Amino acid sequence: MDVQDIISSGLLELYAAGLASSQEMAQVEHWLKQYPEVAAELKAIESGLEQYAHLNAIDPAKEIKDKIFAAINSVSTGKKTNTVSSNNAPVAKVIPINNYWKWVAAASVVLLIGSAAMNVLYYNRYDTASDGLKETLQQLAAAEQKNNEEETIAKIFHDKNSTPVSLKETGAAPGATAKIFWMQDTKQVMVDASNLPDPPAGKQYQFWAIVDGVPVDGGLIITNDKGKKLRLQSMKSFGRAEAFAISLEKVGGNPKPTEVVSMGKII
Amino acid sequence: MPAIIKYSEEELVAELQRRNQHAFAYLYDNYAGALNGIIHRLVEDKELAEDILQEAFVKIWNNFSSYDTTKGRLFTWMLNLTRNLTIDTLRSKGYKKQSKISGDENSVSNFTDNSAIAEKFDALGIRKQLVNLKPEQRSIIDLAYFNGYTQDEISKEMGIPLGTVKTRMRSAILELRKMLQ
Repeated sequence: MDVQDIISSGLLELYAAGLASSQEMAQVEHWLKQYPEVAAELKAIESGLEQYAHLNAIDPAKEIKDKIFAAINSVSTGKKTNTVSSNNAPVAKVIPINNYWKWVAAASVVLLIGSAAMNVLYYNRYDTASDGLKETLQQLAAAEQKNNEEETIAKIFHDKNSTPVSLKETGAAPGATAKIFWMQDTKQVMVDASNLPDPPAGKQYQFWAIVDGVPVDGGLIITNDKGKKLRLQSMKSFGRAEAFAISLEKVGGNPKPTEVVSMGKII
Repeated sequence: MPAIIKYSEEELVAELQRRNQHAFAYLYDNYAGALNGIIHRLVEDKELAEDILQEAFVKIWNNFSSYDTTKGRLFTWMLNLTRNLTIDTLRSKGYKKQSKISGDENSVSNFTDNSAIAEKFDALGIRKQLVNLKPEQRSIIDLAYFNGYTQDEISKEMGIPLGTVKTRMRSAILELRKMLQ
């Protein structure tokens, strides 16, 4: 058995709780001498139980201490001891308190404890309720934002001036597809980049319009904002174009596309 | 008045081995309540409980040389001595081993009997945490540590197989330690 096996065996707990058989006790005592780690673990277990015992402490009556000291000093035969009287402190005068006030004091202690317990209880409830409310508000805000986004998308989608263009993957980056909405009246170009895979580190997507066979920079695309996929983003406006494309470039973009990953012609 | 001295466990043991009564007074002040709590688990009679506490401390003083530091902490030794004395006393008076406490949620209730109110409020946070200990975890600790039940008795009292007592005890103590940290 190695140290870890001993510690996880449960025997140390049995030993500390007084449940071990005499055979098991002998075994544990042998380990305690052999392995300092086992001794340290037992100490930690015992300290836990000791604290628990202190939590369950009941103060004994005051006079017991004196009786104990009287007893040990009357039986200590000839052994040299440093004696101490436990009541060598100045003794306060004891004034009898009548029973009525004792009851009042006892009752107020009970009430105080009761009230403290209720405080803890209600504070916990308040805490839970307040956390719940916060969570609900956050969910509501998130839902509202999503709803706004959806509405914008729907509006663009249904706009009679919007021309949808699907960009298909070119093979350079699997799954790199995107949707473009090109507004005929305002010439605005919107990209739904939510289907683009996250770019590799140090790279960024760039948007292009192909005008007269030449790619023209349409701006950089953000695919991800702190873990959140962006749905629609506005790119540069174009009056005319034959096709749109997305390429993977170094962060900050390039004047000319180097690796086109997605492309679509305007029908 | 003697100066207030705080002893580490090693110092306390060394001083008690030298028969220093100041150290014994310190021992009493720091541990009598906890040991008294153990006795009250088993004994209803207040006078009998006080007699046992006195006898226990006299025994601790007289038999101190039999405490072996390599076998465990001082408190564990005192607790075993006190608990065994209590059980023996009850037996000699014809009492049966009582289950004054059972594994219900009241097993930390003795705590409210403690007259040191300040302590109560200090410990309120810890007590609240102990409420998180599952009832069966608290009762297995209580039955063994406070009531001196054997594995066999615990298995019967709690209705669990004998072989499970060890694993249950380990997980209960691990949980207790986590809460007290």
